[in-house]
Amino acid sequence: MATTGISESPPAAPAPPAPAALELRGVTKEFSLRRSRTVTALESVDLTVGHGEFVALLGPSGCGKSTVLRMVAGLEEPTYGEVLVEGGAPAHLVRRHRLGIAFQEHALLPWASAYDNIALPFRVAGRPVDAARVTELLELVGLEGFADARPRQLSGGMRQRVAIARALVLDPEVLLLDEPFGALDAVTRRRMNFELARIWADQRITTLLVTHDVDEAVLLADRVVVLTGRPGTVRHVEEITLPRPRDRALARNAEFHDIVDRLTALLDEGAE
Amino acid sequence: MNRARTALLTAAGTLLLLAAMEAAGRLGVLGESWPPLSQVVAALGDPVTRDLLGRALAATATAAGTGFAAGALAALAVAVTGVLLPVLKAGLDRLAAVVHAVPLIALGPLLITTVGREGTPSVIAALAAGFAVFVAATSGLGAASEAHRDVFRALGASRRSTLVRLQLPAAVPLLLDGLALAAPAAVLGAVVGDWFGAPRGLGVLLVSSMQNFQTELMWSAALSAAAISLLAYAALAGLRTAAARRFA
Repeated sequence: MATTGISESPPAAPAPPAPAALELRGVTKEFSLRRSRTVTALESVDLTVGHGEFVALLGPSGCGKSTVLRMVAGLEEPTYGEVLVEGGAPAHLVRRHRLGIAFQEHALLPWASAYDNIALPFRVAGRPVDAARVTELLELVGLEGFADARPRQLSGGMRQRVAIARALVLDPEVLLLDEPFGALDAVTRRRMNFELARIWADQRITTLLVTHDVDEAVLLADRVVVLTGRPGTVRHVEEITLPRPRDRALARNAEFHDIVDRLTALLDEGAE
Repeated sequence: MNRARTALLTAAGTLLLLAAMEAAGRLGVLGESWPPLSQVVAALGDPVTRDLLGRALAATATAAGTGFAAGALAALAVAVTGVLLPVLKAGLDRLAAVVHAVPLIALGPLLITTVGREGTPSVIAALAAGFAVFVAATSGLGAASEAHRDVFRALGASRRSTLVRLQLPAAVPLLLDGLALAAPAAVLGAVVGDWFGAPRGLGVLLVSSMQNFQTELMWSAALSAAAISLLAYAALAGLRTAAARRFA
């Protein structure tokens, strides 16, 4: 499936045979400010995400976690180090329309219906719209009856579902989620977390989620990478071995609360 | 309730203005060249005058309409070129500013020798309307939000696809704003264009009636020009309100 990127991997070191889905090697990102001053957002970050793995990047706002995601999406370039997606530059995956992305601002087209918003990636890729696939996605995110609704007519949670459906419609190799539920109220947010857990269990796409919500990270991910400080560095990596499917029963799971407490404490220390 | 109040205030304002015109004419406070409004309207009762005005109005409206359409299309084409070929963008912006900075009056002699007396009004109308549309189109095509652009980039959208599926629809409200402003500019441009020897038109009528001291005729020509400007503006502004709900 992902054999095209191999030529891009550098000849250095005895490289593993199959490239990881996502790999950041010693990535530092500086942003230039006025008068030739720079600010460092990320400092030598290493991160590997395996195929079909769900990794959550957890950190307080301003730790550069969104910058990691934007670099993986090819929206930013690292200042030092390299970002590899399927062993190649992110641009390769993007050019083949194999990347799905959803942001905190749903960024749906206000003039298009839910159906047309979900169909957008087909059109952008210059492919005929697969109506059955779009309908399937509408069902997957629980919006069967809302195909013709405009974003303005939908609630905040419904808009994010459409945005996630849009990210999934082309069956991407990599799914990037940047605080997709950040603008929702706590109750809707938790409901959407369980929905996403269900959807993801169905698809098992390599996923990188950026969030500052500890519960959300632990609930969804196979691995939580805690990023703290300014500039942001990887402070801790937590394997989450909680059984799947993860549903509301998790709220009564002592191990879940234990992990959440530990990670919350880590974030708290990092804030000082 | 609120809309009714706005309509009432608009009607009251219009009536007040017309009454002031009438009063100023009757009292003669602004001299002999300001006739009472009723006298201007009465002059239209004469079939010869009405015929004369009708032909002038048709000529000017046609010139303004063709100029408006051509100017708007050309401006949109230039703005779109700037998006598809970013290297040209800065140059095109500057070119538009330079063309706009040349007084339209100064182009008259040039236009008479190139497009002729009959064509000059529509070309001047096109130049007058084109700049407003160009400015609106340029800012409209840049109006899509950063998040929308990011989504398109991450989806691997080509420049053309981004233009067609994001930038053009996002530009519609601003573009209609620009068109609403460009319509009166086109009428004004056509009237100015008439002065370079066009065979007929409101501009011609304005100049000849002024020189022959036909005050009522001059005013009816002026008011006709104002009326078509306002009508075109109102129609496009209405369209914009409707579109704003759809596209924003």
